[in-house]
Amino acid sequence: MSKLEIEIPPDEPVVIFHRVIRAAPELVFRMYTEPEHLRRWWGPRHLDLVVCEIDLRVGGRYRFVHRAPDGQEFGFFGEYRAIEPPHRLVQTFVYAGTPDNEAVETFTFEPVAAGTLIACRTVHSSIPARDAHVASGMEDGLTDSYQRLADLAAWLQTGISK
Amino acid sequence: MRVLPDEELDRAFAALADPTRRAILARLTSGEAGVLDIAEPFPMSQPAISKHLKVLEAAGLVSRRRQAKQNLCRLEAGRLKDVVDWLGTYREFWEASFARLDEYVETLSTGRSPS
Repeated sequence: MSKLEIEIPPDEPVVIFHRVIRAAPELVFRMYTEPEHLRRWWGPRHLDLVVCEIDLRVGGRYRFVHRAPDGQEFGFFGEYRAIEPPHRLVQTFVYAGTPDNEAVETFTFEPVAAGTLIACRTVHSSIPARDAHVASGMEDGLTDSYQRLADLAAWLQTGISK
Repeated sequence: MRVLPDEELDRAFAALADPTRRAILARLTSGEAGVLDIAEPFPMSQPAISKHLKVLEAAGLVSRRRQAKQNLCRLEAGRLKDVVDWLGTYREFWEASFARLDEYVETLSTGRSPS
């Protein structure tokens, strides 16, 4: 399985991630923009995507609601800024729990030998807004201590190898 | 899960952004150490290392105590875990999503109807 790479630059309000998916960019683009596809993968398995409304045009809006097994709901919404199938998608992203923090997400879908390299660059309004965003709305995610330890080890190693 | 206040998280991230400071933390994972011992492998002066230690201390990642005639530094593993947990929630969301996406595109390409 392809590895998710996340970068959190310390000095700009940005989160970047990369991931390879074994499908052509045309299909991956649809996975990101069509509700019947998004419902099947967006978010951890234990959260139901109970609302997935998409008005796919520049200036059009989308709205997603996740429901946890305990009934708690997490809402997300935003607006499409650029729709360039199959290579690029730009949208605003707001977690309903922190409606003042609007982020801008730029997804690019690049064809590679194994399928598609998804790159997402999220720009927040400020570094504290980014930090709050990353920490919020996902509190009920279950922890994978081993992955975290591995992350931590890798992170510390980057210091030693210099 | 405990979520750190923004300013503490910022301080921790700023402290961790520096490779020397990460190397100091890595050194401290093997146990408490004096400032001189910590400074030894680095090509910089002991005052420069002390400055880095102060940043780590202010970020809650390192604590110091005085023993005999020297300052001993210790890794505050709890704070480091808070920071890693913070990153972990984000990672989990996307890792879980992409694991599902992998399975989903697989069902589509094999022509089976997705369950």
